[in-house]
Amino acid sequence: MGPDTQPSATPPITRRRFLRWLLGFSVVSTLAMVAAPVAAFLVPPKSTATGSGGKVLAGTLADIPLGKGKVVPLGSKPAIVINTAQGVVAYSAICTHLGCIVAFDDLSGTIVCPCHDGRFSPANGTVVSGPPPTALTPVTVSVEGDQVFLVSA
Amino acid sequence: MTADAERAPSPTGMGGWIEERTRSRPLVAALLHVRIPAEARTFYFGGSALFLFGIQVATGTLLALYYKPTPAAAYDSVLSIMSDVSFGWLIRSVHHWAANLMILLVVLHLLRVVSQAAYKYPRELTWVFGIGLFGITMVFGFTGYLLPWDQRAYWATVVGTEIAGFVPVIGEQLLVLLRGGIDVTEATLSRFFGLHVLVLPLALAGLLAVHLTLVHQLGLANPKRPDPRGREPEGRTTPFFPNYILDELIAWYVLLALLVVLASLFPAGLDDKANALETPVGTKPEWYFLAVYEFLKLVPRLVGIMVPIVGLGLLAALPFLDRKPEVLARRRKMAVGVATLVLGGAVALTVRGFLP
Repeated sequence: MGPDTQPSATPPITRRRFLRWLLGFSVVSTLAMVAAPVAAFLVPPKSTATGSGGKVLAGTLADIPLGKGKVVPLGSKPAIVINTAQGVVAYSAICTHLGCIVAFDDLSGTIVCPCHDGRFSPANGTVVSGPPPTALTPVTVSVEGDQVFLVSA
Repeated sequence: MTADAERAPSPTGMGGWIEERTRSRPLVAALLHVRIPAEARTFYFGGSALFLFGIQVATGTLLALYYKPTPAAAYDSVLSIMSDVSFGWLIRSVHHWAANLMILLVVLHLLRVVSQAAYKYPRELTWVFGIGLFGITMVFGFTGYLLPWDQRAYWATVVGTEIAGFVPVIGEQLLVLLRGGIDVTEATLSRFFGLHVLVLPLALAGLLAVHLTLVHQLGLANPKRPDPRGREPEGRTTPFFPNYILDELIAWYVLLALLVVLASLFPAGLDDKANALETPVGTKPEWYFLAVYEFLKLVPRLVGIMVPIVGLGLLAALPFLDRKPEVLARRRKMAVGVATLVLGGAVALTVRGFLP
């Protein structure tokens, strides 16, 4: 710390101490060199799903008649497509409560989660009843002739 | 004073706390505080092979987190490890290079023991277990090679298991046993994966435990003079710990650096996906099987398969065939001559195998 003219203030750095620091630094940097790639390796890649992104054919209007719904794969995640009086709509089929897959209930006309009976409105995906904290995420739908496409981000 | 206090932790410190609950100090002392002949020269080959086995266990465990052992998914999972997983290329390449270096070091260790006659009394059993370890290491290489399920892997396995099928009497059964059927299929991949990640590591660890215990009990061989029968060897000794251990650690450190450099400059490759309908031109096994592969081109099949098998048997029996106590190479003309001839032949065949 201080200049060499004040040796009494701090003990001099002996060769032994210097070597010990050097050894400690080497050990720590070696451990870091090994641990960093191992830790990074353990974190899985963001998405390995194939076919995600772009336009995905969900089915035809014959598959999803008026007043009915269907769960279809969209990339690696499921989406629910419902043919309502206002047109065909789609949402992420993953319940916002605990991640179960929702289904369309024709009788009540709502989207139902089988785990805790959370219910969502098919019109806009908002929560009608039950524990889900937020609405279902909407998915863009494109109807071309008879075919229903979902557009994923 | 300070240094002494650090070296021997007080009973109230962390070391003392652990010691009270494990009473391990006598065990550690018995393992570490032994003396080795001052003339002993191991060149750290065996210890380095041990270090590489540790590297293989660590990197192999990591690879198993992403690898999928089915023909439909194996290739893509390896491709994903190489391109999607963070540092996947590094882990796989280190595993690949450590495998090759491990075989090289096991062979160098074997040659060192032969040249110093360290297989002689009282180390005959250490040698036999060592030959077992050598065999397991080779099978590790063979089974691991198939796992990426690319063209090289697939056809090297087809050829390798076909060679096993030439073994007289049991060949056909051996082939079916190895492949899990008549052909190399998903059954073969399951078998090789099971062998590679379960059976062989356990077998190697078990044999290694015996091998190392024997090394510890008998001490390192003195390359200058044979061990006297029935009494302790004499002569100058040096401490195993810290002197020898420190040198060994330096060798491991250099090896780790070498692995990272090799993995970075020459990462493990991946051929096209395995295609059972098309054998690629110039199909060859890995370098450590090349000598046998070439030998099979030159001699009748039966000779080509029996010579390596009998050779391995004779190698395992070496301490019981060469019983003279002499250890100096210049007085063991026969043993050194035969060893040089075998080594020269194997190297020549391997070089020939590399030529197009």
